[in-house]
Amino acid sequence: MDNFFWSNLFNRVSDETGVIADFWRATPLFRNIPLRHVQALAENMHVRHYQQDEWVFREGDQGAGAILVLEGRVRVVANQTTLAEFDAGDFFGEIALAENENRTADALCTEAGRLVYFLKQDLEEWIEVEPRLGAVFLVNLASTLAQRLHRANQLIAEKI
Amino acid sequence: MLPTDDRFSQASSAYLQTFKVTAIVIAVCLASFYLLSSILLPIIFSFTLYTLVEPLSNHLVRRNINHSVAIILILILMMTLSILAISFALPPFIEQVVLLKDKLPFIFSQIENLLNVYSARLAASLGIEFDLSSIVVSVVAQSASLGNALLVAISEQVFTITLSMILVPVMTYFILKDFKSLRNELLNWLPNSSFELGWLIYHRVTRQLQIYTRGVMLQSLIMSIVATIGYTVVGLDIPVLLGVLTGLLNLIPYIGPVISMFLATLVASAMTPFDPSLIYLAIGVVVFAQIVDNVVVIPSLIANAVDLHPVLAIVGILVFGNLFGAIGVILAIPAMAAIKIIHRNLYADIHNSGRISALNAPRKSQ
Repeated sequence: MDNFFWSNLFNRVSDETGVIADFWRATPLFRNIPLRHVQALAENMHVRHYQQDEWVFREGDQGAGAILVLEGRVRVVANQTTLAEFDAGDFFGEIALAENENRTADALCTEAGRLVYFLKQDLEEWIEVEPRLGAVFLVNLASTLAQRLHRANQLIAEKI
Repeated sequence: MLPTDDRFSQASSAYLQTFKVTAIVIAVCLASFYLLSSILLPIIFSFTLYTLVEPLSNHLVRRNINHSVAIILILILMMTLSILAISFALPPFIEQVVLLKDKLPFIFSQIENLLNVYSARLAASLGIEFDLSSIVVSVVAQSASLGNALLVAISEQVFTITLSMILVPVMTYFILKDFKSLRNELLNWLPNSSFELGWLIYHRVTRQLQIYTRGVMLQSLIMSIVATIGYTVVGLDIPVLLGVLTGLLNLIPYIGPVISMFLATLVASAMTPFDPSLIYLAIGVVVFAQIVDNVVVIPSLIANAVDLHPVLAIVGILVFGNLFGAIGVILAIPAMAAIKIIHRNLYADIHNSGRISALNAPRKSQ
């Protein structure tokens, strides 16, 4: 049984925060970033509940950060074409961490679930405190975006 | 592509919707200000201090100091600085206030003399009799009691100031410690459809306000130093008090420098022996400080922090001043800058993503 006093004394990471931190740490964005830092970040992340068939965002919306699927399933659609489907542990919308562009596709929750927002605001505040790890994160982000661009180029080349 | 009429009606509808939402936001903010009016000053001081010391807290955390320990260290530093300021700066400051109080009757009699001289000159040149000095006769009669009233007002405020000096560090401590989690809790109340937009607006407003607050505080300090040196060089009485007032009044755009100029003129006119050139020199110091401010300080510290039309700024200062007094005058510019960002972002979102109807409907796919 959890003891309130001892669990608070040692500032134990809650189960949900632990799961969120584990999910994020498994993504390329948090490669080479120590778990305790990811846990500290995860504590301030924002968990949102979505119903089935609820829009997560629409094309043209202003994006505030990357989104991790904690539970449920999300479909990303552009021009009535499904671009990708995301399950628990997947993330999307990371372009918003890099620049202030509007969302380029629609995202629909196809199964009710919970999504975790890692906002640009949180990232900037973290970089102010941990600039070295912030640099590692930004390299990871650049690499992830480059991979996605490469994949998109391949898809276009295949279609042509 | 939409016909021109449709685009126009869509834009005006988006504008109306934005106006409604912005009005609701402003109403909520004004209601909160009203409810918190009794402790608004310590709250504003605490958030200003938070903005100023947060980089120091981050710096300490970067040096592997625990966040809570870093905050306690900052609190101790703030307390020490407050005690040092009270012990060293307050006595000479009060001395200058007392000097000003003693000089007030003389200042007013000098003004009366000046007005007499100028009204006589005006009468001689225009051939019409003027009696400008009668305007200030009643003020002159009460000038001695005005000085006493000033001291009484200051002593009445001692309790409030002491309470604020205790409250502000404590509040700043809790803001440094818990503000981010409290903010997260509050913003989590946003519906899914507005969650990202809400955070974006918050992010942009706070970033702008942080730049503005830090810039304006530094600007005020620089202006105080420049003006104090200027008044000392010119040979004016109470140069430190006047310099600090000039720096503080600089927080009020357009109107503040005019009040500074008026105060400097008053003090210059009370100098013995009376020297009219001192009045011009005192005005010259304020003008010089304004040139330094506009040419050096503003471009390097707070350029682009707020981008408001001068007329809008003055109207805002008057309206906020009327609503919230002296605090309102200082808050007017950042508040209006925040309103402008909120309005711009809401309009962009409502207009671009055609969310006018979606604001009233559940966000479900069709």
